[in-house]
Amino acid sequence: MEIKGSSPTTLTVRWLDRVQSAWRLLGFSPLGLLLLVIIGLAPLFIKNDYILRLMVVCLMFGTQAMAFDLTIGFINVVNFGFAAFVGLGAYTSALLMINLGWSPWIGLIMGALVSGLLGFLLGILTLRLRGIYAAIMAWFVGLALMSLVTVNVDLTRGPLGLVVPLFFESSKQILYFYIIFPIMIGTLVILRLLTRSHYGLAFRALGGNLDAARASGINPVKYLVMNFTISCALAGLVGVFYAHYFGILTPAMMLTRSTVEILAIAYIGGRGTLWGGLLAAFLVIPVFEYLRGLLAYRWIIYGLFLIVTMVFYPGGLVGVVFWIGNLIKRLFSRPSKGP
Amino acid sequence: MQLSGLLDLVIIGLFRGGIYALMALGLALVFGVMNIAQFAHGEFYMVGAYVAFFAAAVLGVHPLLAWASALVCSFAVGVLVERTVFLPLRLRSREGWVMNAFLLTVGVSFVLQNVALAWLGPSYRGITEYWKGNISITAGLNVSADRMASFVAVIVTIAALWLFLQRTRIGRAIRAVAQDERGATLVGISLGRIHTLTFGVSTALAGLAGAVLLPMTQAYPNVGFKPMVLSWYVVMLVGMGSISGAVVGGFIIGILESFSYYYLGGGWQDVVVLGVLILILLFRPSGLFGAEVKGIWER
Repeated sequence: MEIKGSSPTTLTVRWLDRVQSAWRLLGFSPLGLLLLVIIGLAPLFIKNDYILRLMVVCLMFGTQAMAFDLTIGFINVVNFGFAAFVGLGAYTSALLMINLGWSPWIGLIMGALVSGLLGFLLGILTLRLRGIYAAIMAWFVGLALMSLVTVNVDLTRGPLGLVVPLFFESSKQILYFYIIFPIMIGTLVILRLLTRSHYGLAFRALGGNLDAARASGINPVKYLVMNFTISCALAGLVGVFYAHYFGILTPAMMLTRSTVEILAIAYIGGRGTLWGGLLAAFLVIPVFEYLRGLLAYRWIIYGLFLIVTMVFYPGGLVGVVFWIGNLIKRLFSRPSKGP
Repeated sequence: MQLSGLLDLVIIGLFRGGIYALMALGLALVFGVMNIAQFAHGEFYMVGAYVAFFAAAVLGVHPLLAWASALVCSFAVGVLVERTVFLPLRLRSREGWVMNAFLLTVGVSFVLQNVALAWLGPSYRGITEYWKGNISITAGLNVSADRMASFVAVIVTIAALWLFLQRTRIGRAIRAVAQDERGATLVGISLGRIHTLTFGVSTALAGLAGAVLLPMTQAYPNVGFKPMVLSWYVVMLVGMGSISGAVVGGFIIGILESFSYYYLGGGWQDVVVLGVLILILLFRPSGLFGAEVKGIWER
């Protein structure tokens, strides 16, 4: 085959091969795929706007948790200014739309680009040092962004809040669902492909033991900055959706609190698993929505969950899921193994 | 601007900076000895402020006694937190201790802050003054007696801590652990006790800061955030874990803050300090006083 040279079909075959190998790399389990399809088709059957709204919010938090997990779960650096990067994307798109009349669809790209660029610069500056420096500096950058937004009252209306036009004239939730759902799927696919390729190996190596990773020839700064930039760009992307979905932006969205909320969701889901954050978002947010009495204690609960999962159960929800899966497998395999 | 005005700004900066120095000292100590980047420092400030409020305003004790009770209570809370949260993590953690411990302090911070919110409510509790009167320093500048007293308290505490670290056996043990944990264990220092003590001392410093500043900042659940951010600026400025640098850095940040407040107005001070920090990280990543910081490239 090789000697004959390229026949007209090889190109398509190669293309198919590539798709196939990418699919294998993605490695979705049938159950996970089924769940994603169910979530994706749900709005066609659920006509209740309230539930759809809840689902949109869950998807939004889930996507953020996945983007956050890329840094904390793989390279072991906390992006402690995550909420500010979300806010930066949101304000970028909102200001472009209000002042220059740019469409929010271009805003999606611009928001991601601007957040990614800031993440890149910050990464170049701080990721040369040990991880904790990057975490604290990201936090400072977040605080500075927040005070910039608060101080520039004539541009952003400061704490009064900036009113942003929505994506569509109508506020039917199904329309917004089908914006955030592809964003979520795209994030999941990109991050899965990235982290299961050799890049992911490099990330994990750097997160685990930096010196050992360096000794085996991984350029730390390159991979760390790449990881950080992608995470920040995704944060900006979700931020743009936030802006044109809720229609109002205040500097309060950039508070450290918001970062900690994402952090808690990512950790409850299971660190370094990506889809754990999504799972946790779909559990945690409806629980707080239905048990409104708990809302006052929300931060105590988040804090306690953070402490407990970190100290006693680092596997998170995903760990529980795998544990149940293994239990079921053992239950079903026992009769065949028997004497 | 006249020279006396400039001098006033510097003096105001020094007064502000004293508190940052005290807080940053605690941060540097706990990072230097235990490798914990403490995010819950502000919550111990809050504990100190509340204890001082209840002692001074409700029980009506002497201010010095109120300060002492704040010191003791925040020390006790710190010891409790170390024993219940950080000790288990240290026993279990294998890799990535610094980042995990940092996130753990974030959890602790949220729990403490919101327990205070749920328990004591969001209202501001404060006293108007510990001592009456003003003290004039320069022609145009009057400082309230409380600010003067807080400044004196800060200086005395820093001096006492320095003596403690340099002259006593326990202080030497703390410094030994900061230099080399394994070596310290080999010569018979009990790591667990030193860690608990260090954490307690660090939180006691934050609590004292909260207590002496009670007339200026009041006590409410979120009160510790601003001082904590500023003390983190200090620690990043001078290099993490540099204990003597933290004191100098506290005064530098205080002066920087008072100048940026005067010339640019409120709100810009975060941006100004961040700019300075970025410059320092660009040209001198180990901070002003070059405590030992590991970059990625060097061992």
